[in-house]
Amino acid sequence: MTGFAELAAATHYSFLRGASAPGDMVATAIELGHAGIGIADRNTVAGVVRAWAALRDAVEDHGPIDFKLIVGARLVFVDGTPDIIAYPATRHGWGRLCRLLTLGNLRARKGDCILNFDDLLAHLDDLLLIVMPPALGPVACLTPLSLAAPGRVWLGVAMLHAGSDGRRLVRLAAVAAAAGTPLLATNSPLYATAAQRRLHDVLTCIREKCTLAEAGRRLVANAEARLQSPVEMARLFKRFPEALAESANILARVDFSLDELRYEYPHEPVPPGFTPQAWLEKLTWDKAHKHWPNGIPEKVKSSLAEELEIIAKAKYAPYFLTVHDLVAFAVSKDILCQGRGSAANSAVCYVLGITAVDPSKHNLLFSRFVSEERSEPPDIDVDFEHERREEVIQYVYERYGRDRAGIAATVIHYRPRSAVREVGKVLGLTEDVTSRLTSTVWGSFSNAMERRRFTDAGFDPDAPDIARLADLVGQIMAFPRHLSQHVGGFVLTNDRLDEMVPIHNAAMEDRTFIEWDKDDIDALRLMKVDVLALGMLTCIRKAFQLIATHIGKQYTLQNVPDDADDVYDMLCLGDSIGVFQVESRAQMNMLPRLRPRKFYDLCIQVAIVRPGPIQGDMVHPYLRRRQGIEEPEYPSPGPEHPFDELKTLLGDTLGVPLFQEQAMKLAITAAGFSSVEANKLRRAMATFRNVGGMEHFEAKMVEGMVGRGYKRDFAERCYKQIQGFGSYGFPESHALAFARLVWVSSYLKCRYPAVFAAALLNSQPMGFYAPAQIVRDASEHGVDVRPIDVNFSDWDNGLEDGALRLGFRQITGFRFAWAEAMLSARPFDSIEALARQAHLPDRALRLLADADACGSLGLDRRSAGWEALRTPSGELPLFAAAKARELGDEPAAGLPLLTPGEAVAADYQTTRLSLKAHPMALLRPHFDDALTCAQISAAKNGRKARAAGVVLVRQRPGKGNAIFVTLEDETGVTNVVIWARLFEIFRRPIMASRLMLVEGEIQRSPEGVIHLMAARIIDRSGVLDLLSETHAATPSPLRSDEFIHPDQPSSYPGARARHPRDVRIVPRSRDFH
Amino acid sequence: MPGQTLAAARAQCPALVSVPDDPAADLALLEWLADGCDRYTPMVEARPPHGLVLDVTGCCHPFGGEAGLVDDLQHRLTRLGLTGQPALADTPDAALALARYQLCDVLALPVTALAVPEATHLALRRAGLKHIGDVARQHRPALAARFGADMVALLAQLLGDVDIHVVPRRAPAPVMAEQRFAAPLAHSDAALAVIEALAARAALQLVQRAEGGRRFEIALFRSDGHVARLVIDTAAPVRDPKLLIRLLRERIGALSDPLDPGFGYDLIRLDVSVTAPLADTQLLLAGGSLAESEVSALVDRLVARLGHGRVRRLVTADSHIPEQAAFDLPLDIVSTATGDMQSFFAGEPPVRPLKLFDPPQPIDVTAEVPDGPPRRFRWRRGLHEVTRHEGPERIAAEWWRRADGQGLTRDYYRVEDGNGRRFWVFRHGLYGAEKTSPVWYMHGLFA
Repeated sequence: MTGFAELAAATHYSFLRGASAPGDMVATAIELGHAGIGIADRNTVAGVVRAWAALRDAVEDHGPIDFKLIVGARLVFVDGTPDIIAYPATRHGWGRLCRLLTLGNLRARKGDCILNFDDLLAHLDDLLLIVMPPALGPVACLTPLSLAAPGRVWLGVAMLHAGSDGRRLVRLAAVAAAAGTPLLATNSPLYATAAQRRLHDVLTCIREKCTLAEAGRRLVANAEARLQSPVEMARLFKRFPEALAESANILARVDFSLDELRYEYPHEPVPPGFTPQAWLEKLTWDKAHKHWPNGIPEKVKSSLAEELEIIAKAKYAPYFLTVHDLVAFAVSKDILCQGRGSAANSAVCYVLGITAVDPSKHNLLFSRFVSEERSEPPDIDVDFEHERREEVIQYVYERYGRDRAGIAATVIHYRPRSAVREVGKVLGLTEDVTSRLTSTVWGSFSNAMERRRFTDAGFDPDAPDIARLADLVGQIMAFPRHLSQHVGGFVLTNDRLDEMVPIHNAAMEDRTFIEWDKDDIDALRLMKVDVLALGMLTCIRKAFQLIATHIGKQYTLQNVPDDADDVYDMLCLGDSIGVFQVESRAQMNMLPRLRPRKFYDLCIQVAIVRPGPIQGDMVHPYLRRRQGIEEPEYPSPGPEHPFDELKTLLGDTLGVPLFQEQAMKLAITAAGFSSVEANKLRRAMATFRNVGGMEHFEAKMVEGMVGRGYKRDFAERCYKQIQGFGSYGFPESHALAFARLVWVSSYLKCRYPAVFAAALLNSQPMGFYAPAQIVRDASEHGVDVRPIDVNFSDWDNGLEDGALRLGFRQITGFRFAWAEAMLSARPFDSIEALARQAHLPDRALRLLADADACGSLGLDRRSAGWEALRTPSGELPLFAAAKARELGDEPAAGLPLLTPGEAVAADYQTTRLSLKAHPMALLRPHFDDALTCAQISAAKNGRKARAAGVVLVRQRPGKGNAIFVTLEDETGVTNVVIWARLFEIFRRPIMASRLMLVEGEIQRSPEGVIHLMAARIIDRSGVLDLLSETHAATPSPLRSDEFIHPDQPSSYPGARARHPRDVRIVPRSRDFH
Repeated sequence: MPGQTLAAARAQCPALVSVPDDPAADLALLEWLADGCDRYTPMVEARPPHGLVLDVTGCCHPFGGEAGLVDDLQHRLTRLGLTGQPALADTPDAALALARYQLCDVLALPVTALAVPEATHLALRRAGLKHIGDVARQHRPALAARFGADMVALLAQLLGDVDIHVVPRRAPAPVMAEQRFAAPLAHSDAALAVIEALAARAALQLVQRAEGGRRFEIALFRSDGHVARLVIDTAAPVRDPKLLIRLLRERIGALSDPLDPGFGYDLIRLDVSVTAPLADTQLLLAGGSLAESEVSALVDRLVARLGHGRVRRLVTADSHIPEQAAFDLPLDIVSTATGDMQSFFAGEPPVRPLKLFDPPQPIDVTAEVPDGPPRRFRWRRGLHEVTRHEGPERIAAEWWRRADGQGLTRDYYRVEDGNGRRFWVFRHGLYGAEKTSPVWYMHGLFA
């Protein structure tokens, strides 16, 4: 029996119901010899592109396959109608299905789809419908449906080994005959093979929120709901062969494939009477003349002409115009933005204001980034100020309408943490076991639950429960959990978007998103514009504004001077706290080695401190060549090829591939990849998170290069370097745009340190450092920092005679509205005046008192707090009329004075910084045998030393051979390196310390970069409690998971009940990001 | 360490012994200790989780003063293997606080000893007032303006500025009847008659309260000081003295250690310690009484006669595995099983037999491979030709209960032989995929 196709296949996009990936379903169906497959998930088409792409890849790899994929959805109704599977027979039918699903989605709050039978009747055009009858009971909808859609309705029957299959089949055959609809044989598979039954049971339990032991008959009784071979299906349906034959009939009637979803750019950005290309050219030249009123430089002129020609050839003009439209809106609203990506590095983009990298000064070859033969859509991501991006998003919805604009989806996958937690719960493991397992998960990049994790956590990986957990977690990892909205990838269309793909409500108000994610959109070649948020842009705009107000200079991203030696000097010293991208510990250590002196150096600096180049071992060769220790080498291929092809390719980076684009070019040029193959390589590099896949390219690449006449060891080295990109490669096209922001922020930091610090503080949360480090860095650069004061501060941090005045926003929990009220009610002469004139509630008064912001009232923290406690909020009408003081005088309370330790601890808790002292300065007597950070920095190479400090950051980059810890004390910071084997011994103190004592040896690099190589780690966090009795220290030292993932709420009971301010003396360190 | 997880603690100390928290048992122990403290003073108050307050005013002289009483109490606690932290103070609150913080001066107590919201503790400490003494020095109106009058009142309680009393712990039973005898009663039958009379008196009170008793406690005080106690629990509220006596006789008859009147009883008391609403019962017009109460009367008699755990009932459980889909439980245990009998569709035959064999009995079967129905089978030496069959119903093993995660799948068939007898048989293991020659079993008989 051939010609059977399974037409009711669910995938794991039927969330918590299907247990196989769409690609696996397709692959298994092909293997079993099916004639085709119909993918139909519960009220969604989220998985169909994956199935379609899997089949496309299989055809690309193995040649044509006689197999037809049809895509649709399994409609699940809320009104008791049995499930109905709908397959669009035409493009029009696809539009109806998408509209129907959109209708159901938008009715629901989030993630749900509310459909009634009547909705289906209203969207029947060109849909083929398979009614899936319930196990028992009548099928009332069959007759009305087959009357409404004559000849397009089937009754699907599955033989699921329930004991009475034969009887049920005969009964349903009679039902079908009575309604005049054919019977369709299916197995309604939930997964590909019997091996996935366990996983399916686990998913069922997660869905039903129960354990396996409790689940009972909520689980499927057997493993029959899988893809069955055509032979087996023929055996099951031997009395109804015509039911089997119907599947081929349906396959033949479907004349729709996802290839038909053709994309049309929206028409809005082009005024009537112009073609997109003509309008783009007019815009470009007009703006170029305006930008260079004394004549466009020759170089730019020719670039523009050349680029416009490429754009015309590739028909990219509408794309550039769409991006320009967004940027023009942002400019009109004074929202800072910058584009990046392959198409952004062009003179055209500079002239249109999309980027700030000046083509007249930098060597940007558009053709280097946009190749004609790759017909992929151009790529421009636009970053906007993070605080104001929502305005841009709402503009997009407004301009294009919600039926034509939607944000792409992000598929939220199971990660090790969630997988262990949920599978553990299903297996009946207690939460303390699973939380212990997840607490050893390092960082957010780890994607596999390795065996070692289990031993690390003290569990025997071979114990049956644990082995089962490990096995199931391994299977469930990378399973989609639900759909969410992408951070900002917009799909804009000219026709109705909801006839291309169903639309959902997002959790955020006023947001809608489509069901496909960015990979799906790429696969279908739809156009996407990324509207992203970038904190640094907010910071830069705020700095520009402060400069304009207080200093009177008008800066823009474009007009910040391009070279200033003092700025480069500052960077070469590694003095980069707060600077965009290069402020991390690793970047700070790299700066003195790389010694950037020009714009392109910054671009390399941005890209080089990444797991990709580090794992590909590209950093040291590049540094050696840069410092002149080693000559760049450019091996030549065989004589029949251009001898300097590598020099052209890698000349800018001294022969070391550092950027993702170089890896691809290397594959194409030196290894003879076709552009299709290179595209696959790019995809493998881009999707490093989900699939490996890089190893497939090894043989191809190495043999290709050897075949072209390169030496084998060189080819293997190149491959190894490129493989590094599999974990993280940074594209040059993005690095260029980032480098501009590095430059602008460095310039601000160097020339206007007070402004820069204020702007950084006003843009929090962003960047790498906490307010304490930013303020401290500012005062080290000679900025006078003044405390928060009720009579002088604003909400924002601001400038006051060139000094930095801290603002009320630094007070945790303080509100903008309170600050506003205070501004108009100044001056105040007492706490009571604050309450009455500014109508502050008592909470605001207490926060102000606690933050020691009443200095100008002559009150210290304690007396202000005591006074605030008795001050009622607002103003009583009687006293208001009399303008009299309401509170009588009291006998003096005689409160004890704050000790310096108490003052500092309270400062940290209320404002996360202290202008009075560093905690270590007060605790120094407890560490008299330890060197200060300043002494460490001055110490000789090889000296044995002890250092103590507050833990700022712990990181375990790359392969995790070493852990980097940054300690801070009153004199500066010390970078500590802990080798992995030491980590196994000192895991607890490393994970738990807030104040750490390290013994080790000082290592000083020739460039003056200093590390303390740890030999012993001691947790001295307890000493912090000595600062202040009034503020309880962290009660339990074993809260490591909180420290690893400070952004995630801890499962530790009681941790949430306490306000963080009341728990910690030192701000939480930022770890493992 | 508070808040630490067990797994984390085990990682630090693998030999750790862990005992689950049992607040009910702790409370029971505390109550028991409080009973024992009756020897010092009738004014005993249990303050869960671990406090006992004794008002020893005027009670100390038998023990040679306060210190002697404390020594005696400590000595007894030590003998029980318990550690106590004693403290003496003018008020219960102060004594408890001093015991908790192991201090002897109220003024040295931390402010957390005040039973006020945590926010107030924090505010006090932020103001630099860390001890009760610091707070006590503050002007009272200033404190009241900031923390409210309640806080000042609590402070006064702690400082002993106001007097508060211990709340004694024993609550009398809601309904009670007792009979004292001038001459001890030496016969059990006579005692029963007295109990019946007491029950009648109690029933009158119960009628007035429109209640019935769920627990009856009979205390037989022997003249030599021994107290025999009998407790009767009923499934439904009752107040009929006849019924009570019948239950009591069953109870006495089932005692392993029969009642011994010895030199006779001088006091018999009946406490109805648990009551529940019970309206006057009304007989049906058609005659006979309510079936519900008859069943519960039967159950009460059976339980009183046979003991707890001996009277059982069937409950269903939620499982695909047939032999795990039903089991029996003691009657008084409330079932947490979620299962219900499989629902039937009109016109469908039953899918499960009435009689299940435990364990299933192996049979010899001739059947088609891979999953054909049995053609004939031999069971208990008889050969049965299968004339009709339906199936298979495929039930896979519960992999999560097995160490190897495997287990064989069963294929159940309902079959009928030439004599019209219907059987439930299964093939153990899928042919080919799981086993090369699966074994067959007879699992049940249809009626």
